[in-house]
Amino acid sequence: MSTEFLPRKQALLFAAPAFIAILPFLGACFYILRFSLSGEQGTIEGLSFQAYRDLMTPFFGRSVWLTLKLAFVATVIVMVLAVPLAFVLTSLRSSFFRRLLTISILLPLILNLLVQAYGWILLLGPSGVLNSSLKALGIIERPLFLLFNETGVLLGLVQTSLPLAVFPIVGAVRAISPEYLEAASSLGAGHWRTFKDVTVPLLRPGLVGAASIVFAFNASAFAIPLLLGGRRVQMMGLVIRDMISPLFNWSGAAAAGMILIVLTLFVLVASSWLVRLTTTAKETH
Amino acid sequence: MRVGLLPTEGGGTYRFAILFLATIGILISSLPVIVVTIMSFSASEYSSFPPTEFSFRWYLEVVQLFTNEDPSSAQSVVDSTLTSLLVAFLVMVISTLVCIPLAYALARSNRNLREGMELLFTLPLVFPLVMLGIAFLLIAESLQLELGIWRIAIPHIALVLPFVLRNCLSAMNGISVEIEEAAISLGASPPRAIWDVVVPLMKAGILAGLIFALIISFNEFTVTFFMYTIDVSTLPIWMYSRTVSSLDPATLALSVFIIVVDVFLVVLVDKLIAGRGNLF
Repeated sequence: MSTEFLPRKQALLFAAPAFIAILPFLGACFYILRFSLSGEQGTIEGLSFQAYRDLMTPFFGRSVWLTLKLAFVATVIVMVLAVPLAFVLTSLRSSFFRRLLTISILLPLILNLLVQAYGWILLLGPSGVLNSSLKALGIIERPLFLLFNETGVLLGLVQTSLPLAVFPIVGAVRAISPEYLEAASSLGAGHWRTFKDVTVPLLRPGLVGAASIVFAFNASAFAIPLLLGGRRVQMMGLVIRDMISPLFNWSGAAAAGMILIVLTLFVLVASSWLVRLTTTAKETH
Repeated sequence: MRVGLLPTEGGGTYRFAILFLATIGILISSLPVIVVTIMSFSASEYSSFPPTEFSFRWYLEVVQLFTNEDPSSAQSVVDSTLTSLLVAFLVMVISTLVCIPLAYALARSNRNLREGMELLFTLPLVFPLVMLGIAFLLIAESLQLELGIWRIAIPHIALVLPFVLRNCLSAMNGISVEIEEAAISLGASPPRAIWDVVVPLMKAGILAGLIFALIISFNEFTVTFFMYTIDVSTLPIWMYSRTVSSLDPATLALSVFIIVVDVFLVVLVDKLIAGRGNLF
C-alpha cells in the first residue's frame, strides 16, 4: 500500500529531530502543570491545591469575567466582519486586488504588535486622527477617550484576530457550489433569504470552527491589553504576568495559567464536538 | 442574473450590507499601518494629523540611531536588531531542518502515526502565548539555566513548528511514492532518492516554511517579553522599552522599515504557495 511506504522504525527515526525540537515545549507544559500544584509559591514543593484556592478572590473572578466578556464581544464583531470579507475576497476577479486584500487582512496577525499599537495610539489617542477630525468638524468639544480602556483593547483584539476567521471562512465559501445559490434564486428566494437559509447553514461548520479559534486567541491575549489597555484592562494574561513580575507568586501564575488553558481548550473541544454533532444529525436525517 | 455570494448587479440592501461591513473590516485591518506610515514622514515633533509638512528627518534619525550608539541608553538598538536577526535565522534553519524529515515520514507512514503527530505539532498553536512565555521562564529561572541566545530561540522554534510543518506537509502531498520508486529502481539508494528527488520537489513548500519561520520569529513579542534579559533582547522589546513613556517619531520610521520587510516576505510566501492551499 502506498501510504505505508516507510517502515515504522524508520518513520520514527525521521521524526526524531522534530520531536527533540518540540520537547522543550512539552516540558514547559508539564512544568507549569506541576508548578500549579506546588505547595510553595516560589519553588516546587509538595502537592497541594493551595495555589488554586488562593485564586478564589473577587479580583481574579472579575478578571476571568472581563476576559470572557471581551473575548466574546470581539469574536462576535470578528464574525460579523469576516463573513462579508470572505465573500468579497472570493468574488474578486483581479488577482492584484485579491493579493492586496489578502495581505492587508493578514498583516495585523503577523506584524510586530508594537507597530500596530502605535497605529491605534495615533488614530484614537486624545490628539489622534479621529479626535482631531471630529473636533475640526465641530462634532465634539472634548476628546473621546477610546484608548487605554475596553474600547481600545476590543479594537486591537478584533484587528489581530480577524485573519484567523477570514481565511478559514474563505476556504468554506470556496467549497459552496454555486448551484445551491442558483437553485435558491430560481425558486424565488431573495438575497437575504438565500443568505439565511442556504449560505449560513452550508458555512456553519466553518463558522463555528473559526469563531472558536478567534475566541481562544482573544481570551489568551496579552500584548494587546498590555499596549492598548494601559494596564487598566486587567485581562487574565496581564493578571498572570503581574503575579510573576512584581509578586513572584509563580505557583499562583501557573495555576491561573492552567485555568486559562482549560478555558480555551474547553471552547475549542466543545465547538468541534458541536460541529460533529450537527453534521452527523444532518446525515441521519 | 448571475447568482453569487456577492451580487454583481442589484442586490439592494444585501449588497450594501456586505460591502459596508467588508469596508469596516478592511479599515480596522489596515488603518493603523497606514497612519503609522503617513506619520513617519511628518516633519513635526508632535503627532498632529494630518502632518503639516513632510520630511525624511525621522528616517535620518533611525540611521543615526544605528550608527551613533547612545551610550546612556540601557539597551542598544544595534544589539537588539542583531539578536533578532540571529534568533530568526537560527529558528528558521532549525525548524525547517527538523520539519523536512518529519513531513517526509508523516506523508509516507501509516495514518495513525500521521494524525497523532500532526496533533502534537499543532499544540503550540492553540497554547496561549502568555503561558508559553511563563512556562519557559519558569523552567529557565528555577533550573537556573544559562542559555544565552537560546533562551529566546528555543521557545520561538516551538512557536513556528506548526507553520513550517504545515508548509512542508502540503509540499509532500503532491509527491507520489512512484517517483521515489522510479529513482530507486534506476539504482539510487533510498536516502539518495529522498535527497535528490523528493527534497528538490518540496522546494516551494520548504521556502514558504523558511520565510514563515523568519516572519514569526522576527515579529514575536509576547513570549520574548517574558524571556528577554538585559544581554539578550530583541527589536520588538527595544521598541517597547522606548515607547513606554511616549511615542517618538523615529520609532515610527523604524516601524515602516519593518512593515516593508513583512509585506515583502508575505508577498513572497503568497507567490510560493500560490494555488496550493491557503496561507493558514
